[in-house]
Amino acid sequence: MPEGSILSDDFLRELINVGEVDILVGLPTYNDAKTVAQVVQAIRTGLLNYFPRQRAAIINVDGGSRDPSQDLVRAASISDLQHLSNIHALRTLHCISTRYEGGPASGIALRTILSAAELLRAKVCAVFSADSTNTEPEWIGRLLSPVVKDNYDLITPTYRRNKFDGMLVQNLVYPMNRAVYSKRIREPYPTEFAFSGRLGSYFAAQDIWSQDVGKEGAGIYLTIAAITGNFRLGQSFIGTKARVDTGATDLVRAMRQTVGVLFWSLDPNFSVWSSNGMSEPVPTFGAESDLTLEPLRVNRKRLFQMFALGVAELEPVLKSILEPPTVEELQRAAALGEENFRYSDELWVRTIYEFAASYHKQVMNRDHIVQALAPLYRGRAFTFLAENRDASAEEVETKVEGLCREFESRKPYLLQMWNERK
Amino acid sequence: MWLAIFEQPVAGDLGAPGPLRQMIVDELTKTMHEILRSFARFLPRVAVMLVIVLVGWLIAFVLKSVLRSLLRLARFDRLAENAGAAQVLKKLALPSATELLSRFVFWIAWLGFILVGVSVLEIVGLQEHIGGFFAFLPRIFAAMFLFFIGMLAASFFSRAALLAAVNADLPSPRLIGSTIRTVITILAACMAFEELGLAEHTVLVAFAIVFGSLMLGLALAFGLGGRDLARRFLERRFAHERKEEREDELSPL
Amino acid sequence: MVLPQDALWYKDAVVYQVHVRTFYDSSGDGIGDFRGLAQKLDYLQDLGINAIWLMPFFPSPLRDDGYDIAEYRSVHPTYGTLDDFKTFLDAAHQRGIRVIIEMVLNHTSDQHPWFQESRSSRENPRRDWYVWSDTDTRYRGTRIIFLDTELSNWAWDPVSKQYYWHRFFSHQPDLNYDNPVVREEMWSVMRFWLDMGVDGFRLDAVPYLVEREGTNCENLPETHSILKDLRIKLDQNYPGKMLLAEANQWPADLRPYFGDGDEFHMAFHFPLMPRMFMGLKLEDRKPITEILQQTPEIPSACQWCLFLRNHDELTLEMVTDMERDYMYDEYAHDKGMRLNLGIRRRLAPLLDNDRRRIELMNGMLMSLPGTPILYYGDEIGMGDNIYLGDRNGVRTPMQWNGGWNGGFSNADPESLYSPLMLNPVYGFQAVNVLSQKRFDHSLLSWMKRIIEIRKSTPVFGRGSIQFLYPANHRVLAYVREYGKDSILVVNNLSSSAQAVELDLRKYKGNILIEMFGRNIFPRIGELPYLLTMGPYQFYWFRLRKI
Repeated sequence: MPEGSILSDDFLRELINVGEVDILVGLPTYNDAKTVAQVVQAIRTGLLNYFPRQRAAIINVDGGSRDPSQDLVRAASISDLQHLSNIHALRTLHCISTRYEGGPASGIALRTILSAAELLRAKVCAVFSADSTNTEPEWIGRLLSPVVKDNYDLITPTYRRNKFDGMLVQNLVYPMNRAVYSKRIREPYPTEFAFSGRLGSYFAAQDIWSQDVGKEGAGIYLTIAAITGNFRLGQSFIGTKARVDTGATDLVRAMRQTVGVLFWSLDPNFSVWSSNGMSEPVPTFGAESDLTLEPLRVNRKRLFQMFALGVAELEPVLKSILEPPTVEELQRAAALGEENFRYSDELWVRTIYEFAASYHKQVMNRDHIVQALAPLYRGRAFTFLAENRDASAEEVETKVEGLCREFESRKPYLLQMWNERK
Repeated sequence: MWLAIFEQPVAGDLGAPGPLRQMIVDELTKTMHEILRSFARFLPRVAVMLVIVLVGWLIAFVLKSVLRSLLRLARFDRLAENAGAAQVLKKLALPSATELLSRFVFWIAWLGFILVGVSVLEIVGLQEHIGGFFAFLPRIFAAMFLFFIGMLAASFFSRAALLAAVNADLPSPRLIGSTIRTVITILAACMAFEELGLAEHTVLVAFAIVFGSLMLGLALAFGLGGRDLARRFLERRFAHERKEEREDELSPL
Repeated sequence: MVLPQDALWYKDAVVYQVHVRTFYDSSGDGIGDFRGLAQKLDYLQDLGINAIWLMPFFPSPLRDDGYDIAEYRSVHPTYGTLDDFKTFLDAAHQRGIRVIIEMVLNHTSDQHPWFQESRSSRENPRRDWYVWSDTDTRYRGTRIIFLDTELSNWAWDPVSKQYYWHRFFSHQPDLNYDNPVVREEMWSVMRFWLDMGVDGFRLDAVPYLVEREGTNCENLPETHSILKDLRIKLDQNYPGKMLLAEANQWPADLRPYFGDGDEFHMAFHFPLMPRMFMGLKLEDRKPITEILQQTPEIPSACQWCLFLRNHDELTLEMVTDMERDYMYDEYAHDKGMRLNLGIRRRLAPLLDNDRRRIELMNGMLMSLPGTPILYYGDEIGMGDNIYLGDRNGVRTPMQWNGGWNGGFSNADPESLYSPLMLNPVYGFQAVNVLSQKRFDHSLLSWMKRIIEIRKSTPVFGRGSIQFLYPANHRVLAYVREYGKDSILVVNNLSSSAQAVELDLRKYKGNILIEMFGRNIFPRIGELPYLLTMGPYQFYWFRLRKI
C-alpha cells in the first residue's frame, strides 16, 4: 500500500472499474462466511427492487478473515461475465472487496468505506453488518429511501427487540446521548444505517482517525457528528434483527465503542451540548420501537455478584472517579444483598455524569475509567431485569422514558461536575 | 617533641625574664598579626560566599517559579494523578506533585550554590567532598526519575490488572493489583538504589524480583489474553456449570 | 461499373433504407418518385453505401403504408412507372449499388383483384386463394397482433357471407399458402422482379404464412418448408440474390429462419437495437453483451441485419417491463413520443443531438457483427415531428438544402405529402445535405468516412466476434477476426473519461493501428493494455504483427 493511503493499489483499480455510483453499500466482515452470502443476497435484491436504475456497488472491507467471506461477497456481482438468467438487473452491480489485517475494527472499515464513497462520488451510502442472520431486502428500501428521496443525511434504524435485548443502549447510550445532544435517536450505535455522501465526506474529514475513537468507535461518533454538524436526521423501522450467536459478548469492548466514545465526544463538542435545550424527536419512518416479550431465562445472580465484587474491589478506583456520597450510596446498596438491591435511576444518572466528568478531567487513564464503569453497569442491568421481569412492552417503554427524563433533568449536574475543579 | 619545645621556653623564662617576655610578646603580636592577616585574607572570601549563597537563593527561587508555571502549563499534576502518584502524596500529607518537584529543584539548586560558596572558602578537604557531591548529583536525579517512572508504572499496571480482573470475574482482584504494584515498586526502588550505588549487591535481588515479576506478568497476560482458551478449557471441565451462567450473557447492544 | 460477382455481397453491404416517396420529387407533385431517387444516386454513391432497401412502392390503397399491396407487378403511379423503376435500377447497378425491395407474401390488400374475385362468390376459382371459414372460431390459439384496432383474426365478408382470415388489419386478408397455385403465383411475382434485376427481397411477415388448428399459427414447420422451397428455386434460377426475413422475434426464435443456410440469408436482429440505446443511457455494457451472448450461432453464409432506427417506432417488444419503463423515461419522457410498444423518434433527437453519442452509436452499428442499415436522413442528423401522428414524424421529406422545400420538391409547400421539419435545431435550414457537404467535420462527412473505413476490410461484415470483459463495465470491447485480420473495437459508453485495462495477452506482440487516423499505439505486452478514453469515445484498432 502506498504511503499515506488507506487504499491498496488493487482496491483502487477495482474502484476505478466500479466508477461513479449513486449508491454504495459498505459491508465490513470478519470471519462471517456463515452469514455473509445471505446478507449480500438481501442487499442485492434490495438494490434491484428499490433502486433498479441507480448505479450501485457493494464494497466489502474484511478484517483479515480466515474463511471465504471475501469470495462470497465477490461472487454476488452482477455482470455480463456471470450469466445469471434469473436476475433481471438493468445494470452491472460490482461487489468488490478489500482487506486490512488485524481483526475487526469498525473504524478502519468505516473509513475505507467513506474513502471509497468519496472517490466514487456516491450520493448515498449504507453500512450493513455481515453477522446478521435475517437481513431483508426491505431494509435497503427502508434505510436508503429517505436519503435518496427526501434528502436525509443520516437514517438510523429502529428494531423490533426483545425487551431485555440491548440493555446497554436502553439504559445508557440512548438516554445519555438523548440528554446530552438533544436528539431522540433510539439506536445511536447502529449496525445498519444509511447516510448521504455529504455527511460521509464531512465525517471522513473529521480528525478522529488516528485516535482510538477512530479505530473502534467510529460508528457512534458518526451519529454524534451528524447531530453536532446539524445534519438532517431520521430513523426508520426495519424489524427484528437476529445475530449469529458468537457466544459471550465482550462487555468492556462494547462499552469502549459506545460509552467510551460518548464520553470522549463531550470534550470537543462542549459548546454544542452545554448550551442546547431539551431533547426533540427525530422524524421516524415506521415504529419508533417495538418490544417483544418472550421470556428469557436470565441468571441475574451473577450480574449482582459481579456488581458487588466490583464495588468492593474497585473502591480506590471508584473513589477517585465518583463523588464520596455516590461511592457510599453504592456501597450501601451493594450491601443490601441481591433481594433488596436496586440501582435507582437517580443514582445511575449521577454515577454516569460523574464518570463523564472524571473522564473529562482525566483523573486517571481514560480507558480505565470506562472499564471501571462495567461492573456498575452490571448492577444497573440487574435492576432493569428485576424491575421489568413481568412488565409489558408499554411499561418497559415508560421505564426507559422515565430514565431518559432523569438524564435530561439532571444535565445541569453534569455541567456542574464538568466545571468543578477537583 | 611537643614536650621538648614546651620545656625550653619555660626554662628560658626562668633564666632570662626580660628578653623572654619580650620574645613572648613579639611572638604573640606576630601570631595576632598573622591571625588578623589571615582573617583579613579570609573575610572577602566569606563575603563572596555570602553573595554567592544569596544570589544562588535568588536564582533557585526564580528557577522554582519558572518550573512551577511550566509544570502547571504542562498539567503535570494530572499526569501524576493518572499515575497514582498524587494519591501517594496525599496519603503522606505532602503538597502537590508540581509543588513538590519545584521545591525539590529549588533546594537542589540552592544547595549547589551554597556548596559553591563554601568551596570559595578554600577550606582544605571540604572541596573534595563538595566535588563528590556535584559528581553525585546526576545520579540522584536519575535515581529519582527512575523511581518516579516506576511509581507511575506500578500504579498504572496495578489498576489495569485490577480492572481486568474484576471484569473477568477473577478471584481476589485487589490482591492481584497490589501484588503487581508492590513488585513494580520494589523493582523501581532497587533500580534507584542501584543507580545511587548504595547497595551494589541488591542487583542480584533486583534481578530475582524482575524475573519473578516477569513470570507473574506473563502468567497474568496469558490469563487475560488467553481467557477464551482458559474458558474453553474450563467449560470442558465444568460444562454444566458454565451452561447455566451463559444464559445471562445478554447482548448489551 | 459492374457489380462484383460475390454471392456473399450482402455480408459486406452497407444498406440505406429509403422510401421513394420521401427522397426526392422530380415531378413537382409534392411526392418523391423513382426519377427523383435516380437523380440522387450520385449522392448515395458518394456516401459510400452499396445497397438500397426500398420500402413498398406497389399500387396500393395505402392504408398500411404500402404494405397492403393491390398489384404485385407494377409501381404506384405517384412514384412513377415500371420503366422509371427499371431506369433507376440500372442506374443504381451502374454505381455499384444493389437494390432490395419489399415483398409482402402473407397478405394482399382487400382491393387486390385476387381478393375481389375470391370474395365475389364461394364458387369462384380464386376462392381458395384466401382463407375462408363459416365460423370465426378456428385457430383460436392465435394471438391478435394489432390489439389496438382488431378484435379478431377473422373478418366477416358480407358479400360471400363467410369469414376470412387476417393476421394484420382486416383490410389485409391472408393468402392461403396451402394452395399450391398461390405458392406458384407468388414465386412468379418474385421472378418478375428478379428478372428485372432486383438483388434481393425483404420478405414481410414471414412467420404467419400457414395456419394450423391447435397451434398459434406462427413459425410452423409448413411455413418453413414453403420458405425453403422458395430458396431452392431462387438459388437454382437466380444465384447471388438475397432473402431478408422480417420477423420481430427473439434471436433464438428467429434462428430456424436461417435453417441450415437453406432458408433466409439475412434477418433483422430486433432485440439488440433497444439495448444499444439502453446501454448508452445506463453507461453500462451489460444489456448489449447479454443480448449478444444469447444470440445463437448462425450458418456461415447467413448474416444479421443491424439498425439503429427505421421507419417504424423504436420497438420495445423485446425487452422486459422494467427495461421498457426505463427506456420510456429516458428516451420518451413526453408521452407523445410513445407509440404502441415503442418510441417514435429519429436517431439524432433520441441522442439529444449529441454528436459524440451519434458517432458512438454509429460506430457500434458498423463494428458489431452484421450488416448495418442506415435510415435515410440519419446520416445528416435529421429530426422528427411527433405531432404528425402515427409514425409519420420519422418519414418527413429528405432535407437537401436550405432553399425551397428543403430542396425536396418544387411543389407548393402545402402540397407536400408531409410537412418539412421547420424548427431552428432540426429544420431543413439548419440540417441539410448541402451545408454538411461543405464541411469536412460535418456529420455527413464523418459518416462517409466511417462507411469508407468499414468497407476497407471484410472483417466487420464477415469476421467472428470475441468479447473482452474489462472490469470497467462502461467500456464495451471486442475483437473481430476474419482470416488473419483482427480488429479491436473499444467503446466508452460513458459520458465521462474512463481508464480501461484490456486483457490482450492473446494478441501479445501486436501493435495497434488506430483505423481513423492510422496512428500507431504501443505494442501489446504481458501486462493489461491500458487505454484512456474520452466521453463516448470509441477506437477501432487494426492489430498488426510487424
